[in-house]
Parts: sequence; C-alpha cells; structure tokens
Amino acid sequence: MLGEKKPIIICRCNDVTIEDIINAVETGIDDFEVLRKYLKIGFGPCQGRSCLLLAARIFAKLTGRRIEEVISEYRVRPPIVPIPARVLLAGVIE
Amino acid sequence: MRIIVIGGGISGLFIAYELLKRGIRDIIVIEEKYLSAGGSGRNIGCFRSSFTSPEHVILMKRSIELWLNYRSELGLELKQSGYLWIARKPETLEIFEKLSVFHRNYGIPTRVLSIDEVEHVQPGLNKDIIAGALFDPTAGRMPIFENLVKLYLKLKTLGVIFHFYTKAIRLNSSGYRVKSAITSKGEIYGDIFIVSAGGKGTRELLATVNIEFPVIDETRHPIITEPYAEILKPALIIDWDTPGAPYVTQTEHGGIIFARNIADIPEALLTSHRIDVIGLTIKPIIELLPILKYVNILRYWIGYYETTPDHHPIYGPIYPYENLYVAAGFSGHGLMMGPITGLLIADWVLNGKPSIPIAENLTLERFKIGKLVKEIAIVG
Ligand SMILES: Cc1cc2nc3c(=O)[nH]c(=O)nc-3n(C[C@H](O)[C@H](O)[C@H](O)COP(=O)(O)OP(=O)(O)OC[C@H]3O[C@@H](n4cnc5c(N)ncnc54)[C@H](O)[C@@H]3O)c2cc1C
Ligand code: FES
Repeated sequence: MLGEKKPIIICRCNDVTIEDIINAVETGIDDFEVLRKYLKIGFGPCQGRSCLLLAARIFAKLTGRRIEEVISEYRVRPPIVPIPARVLLAGVIE
Repeated sequence: MRIIVIGGGISGLFIAYELLKRGIRDIIVIEEKYLSAGGSGRNIGCFRSSFTSPEHVILMKRSIELWLNYRSELGLELKQSGYLWIARKPETLEIFEKLSVFHRNYGIPTRVLSIDEVEHVQPGLNKDIIAGALFDPTAGRMPIFENLVKLYLKLKTLGVIFHFYTKAIRLNSSGYRVKSAITSKGEIYGDIFIVSAGGKGTRELLATVNIEFPVIDETRHPIITEPYAEILKPALIIDWDTPGAPYVTQTEHGGIIFARNIADIPEALLTSHRIDVIGLTIKPIIELLPILKYVNILRYWIGYYETTPDHHPIYGPIYPYENLYVAAGFSGHGLMMGPITGLLIADWVLNGKPSIPIAENLTLERFKIGKLVKEIAIVG
C-alpha cells in the first residue's frame, strides 16, 4: 500500500532487515560477530558478499565504532559457492 | 566474594548463572574473543542422555531436565525429536539391545527398531543397507546462538561483568591461593577462580600454575547446506557401523549439517582447509538417505572436540590450590552438559562437594590415581 513502510532487507539470503539489527542492538547485543551469528547475517548462499559490509556499517554506526573495528572474525569458507552434494560425491576415495 | 570465570562459552555462562541463583553478586567473566567464540559457537546443537557410562547417563539426564526447565525460566528453545542410530550390520542390533537395557535401567526409554519401524521415524532411508536402529525419543536439538544470546543478556541484566577480547595469560598465585589473573588488558583480582576456557585454553592457563591438564583439541569439520524445508524428522541420525560415526542433523533454520570424525592434525588452525572431508563425510550419509544427494553444500567450518583420555569432562577443585576450579574437556558434549556443569561447579565452590555424588569420579585426581571412567561401548 502507498505510504506503508516496507521492510529494508539487509541480508537477502537470510531475510534479515534493518529493524532486526536495530532491535538486536537495543536488546543488548554489543558485538558484530555475535550479531552476525544470532541473525545469521553472511551465513547464506552468498556468504555475505552482498550484505556483510552493509550490516557492518549499520552496526558500527549504531554502536559508535569504526567499521574496521567491527569486522574482525568474518571468513568466507569453502566451497565458496554452493555445490550440489552429488557433484562432490564424485571421486571420493576412502 | 568475587568470583572470576575464565571462558565465555556455554560452561562459563551456566556457571555464572548458577552462582547468581545462589546469591553470588560479584562475578566477572573473562573471554579472549567474543561470546562463545570456541566450541560453544561451533557445535551442532544436539543433546541426549543415552550414553555408555553411568557418569554420562546420570549427569546428562539431569542436564536435559534442567534445559527443559530453562525453557520457561530463561525462554530457551529446544525440541525433543530423538536420536536415531542406524545399524548396517545385523550383529550391531545385539549391541543396541544391550545398550537399551543399560539405558532403561537409568530411566531412559531407548528402544531397538526394526527396518519398518525405522521408516516411520525417518522416511526415505535406504532399507536395502539397513538392519535396524536404536532410537532415543528424549534426545533432541536446539537453536544454539539464540539460546546463548538469551542467557548472556539475562546474565548482563543480573549484573555479571563481561570482559571480552581479554585473554587470561597466566594465573598469579601465592602459596596455594590464586590471587589474580594477568590478562592482555591488565591484572584482575578475585577470591575464587574458575577456568572454563575449553580444551587448549584451559590446558595452557593451568600450566602457568604447574597443573598438567590432559586434554587435546581434535579438529572437526562440520558441513552445512543451504536451508531446506524439514527433511530430517529426528534431531540426529548416526551411521553406527561406518568408521568415524558419520551423522546428520537439520537446524531450526533449515540447514542440513553433516559431520564425521575424520583424523586431522590436532589443534589445526581454524583457517586451515581440508576440502576432501566434504566428500568423505557426506558419502555414507547419502547412502543411508539418498534424497540428500540433491542438496547444495554451502560451507564447512572448523571446531574442536576438547578430548580427554577417557572422553569425559574434568570437573571440580584443582589441588593443591584452595580457590581454583575447572570445568573443561567435554570431548564433544559440552553444550548439552552446560546446565549440569553450572550446577556441579556451584556445588563445589559453595558447598565443597557436588550434590550428585557420581560427579566425584570426574575430578582431575582420576588421572593421578589411574581411575579413568569406563564405558560399556564406544561409538565409531
Ligand atoms: C563439530 C562439533 C559438534 C559438536 N556437537 C555438539 C553437540 O551436538 N552437543 C554438545 O553438547 N556438544 C557438541 N560439541 C561440543 C561442544 O561444542 C563443546 O563441548 C562445548 O561448546 C564446550 O563449551 P565450553 O564453554 O566448555 O568451552 P568453549 O565454548 O570452547 O569456551 C571456552 C572459551 O574460553 C575462551 N578462552 C580460551 N582461552 C582463554 C584465555 N586464556 N582467556 C580467556 N578466554 C579464553 C575461548 O575463546 C572460548 O570462548 C560439538 C563440538 C564440535 C566441534
Ligand atoms: S545476503 Fe547475507 S548471506 Fe547472502
């Protein structure tokens, strides 16, 4: 509807909105890594390529920190892009 | 009285919570990184009491009762959807029968299932390669970080002080009393010190007061898929007859987690890569549940099983010190033990002994006198 506020999605893979982040910070989450794990920001199929910096910037602003202070533990893990299990089965030698 | 807890994982949090409930107000938790940066944030969130030693069975059964109470007391979430151990070999069912008798003696209603019964618990299993199963309906799983955060926020509101990104580098003692912890951010004084710093963390810190702590962090590599609607009915399915006991669980968010005990360099770096573990881990599980060959593998991560020589935790006072206690070395079961860990350590600190006598078998002394815990069967 016209005039109705639409949710602003920050992490598209896991449907995390800016409100989710604000609420989490308001309830007392004071560490970006904890926030990330709690809301699963960056744990979707893109592993944070589209959301991580955005989320980190919002969190840094809300908590009065610099963005490079809040991103400390983030890692992209293999296999980097999702791969069908049946493909990974090929060539398994015990 | 000021109590210093070193380690901000599930053990440290529940120790702080139990001490608070018994009237201690001055509690400081020191954590090297962020909340639950260790095993507590790297596990797969499952619980059961159907173990193979009286110590584990009795303590885990009580721990699950406490978890269930904490649903209303702390708003935690968990679901008892059961554990299913699959037997490929017919002779394994005899072991399952014995285990089930053992469990029932302690009031845990596990039962052996025929192939057809197994299908009711988990549709889609490959019946051609299965002989039957053992089912524990009281086991289950939980959303880990949601629960950890709820507990943490509660502790903060109740006045527990947390020092994150603060490493305890060594303990400073005088005679048989620990006076302070020297940390990366300065010296912290206290009356009682409790070390719940996981495997390697506990070992290294206790070495600074000349205590040998027999634990080694074994590297594990769980693998998670993209989220799916519910595929797995029980909390956990375990392939008993395949080496490394491969297992699979589905999280509340929908991701399917595969894992298997595959030998790796102990205490390998969290960033080290073992891409070959993916195929090795998913293969036996997909044999059992072929529909899983269609899932997309998203990522794997590294965590450690903080393993002791008898695969049981080390609890209680550290002799000859008067004010030093430990809770570590859970050998891959420390999440589910969280509530009982808190209860037992608070007992030791405030009453000098545990309220559940069998916990006395789990002190560090057992390695000195050679009384290791015995299990009736070893899985995997
Ligand atoms: C793949 C995998 C699956 C698992 N699955 C399950 C399961 O389904 N169910 C279950 O019950 N358990 C499971 N576990 C085991 C469980 O995760 C651990 O046993 C449990 O988290 C241990 O909790 P803890 O609080 O004792 O230790 P940790 O969570 O490791 O906490 C110790 C903390 O101490 C900190 N620390 C270390 N050294 C210092 C220092 N010097 N100063 C300050 N802080 C320090 C660390 O940063 C860490 O945060 C699993 C483990 C893995 C790896
Ligand atoms: S958008 Fe957040 S993980 Fe992909």
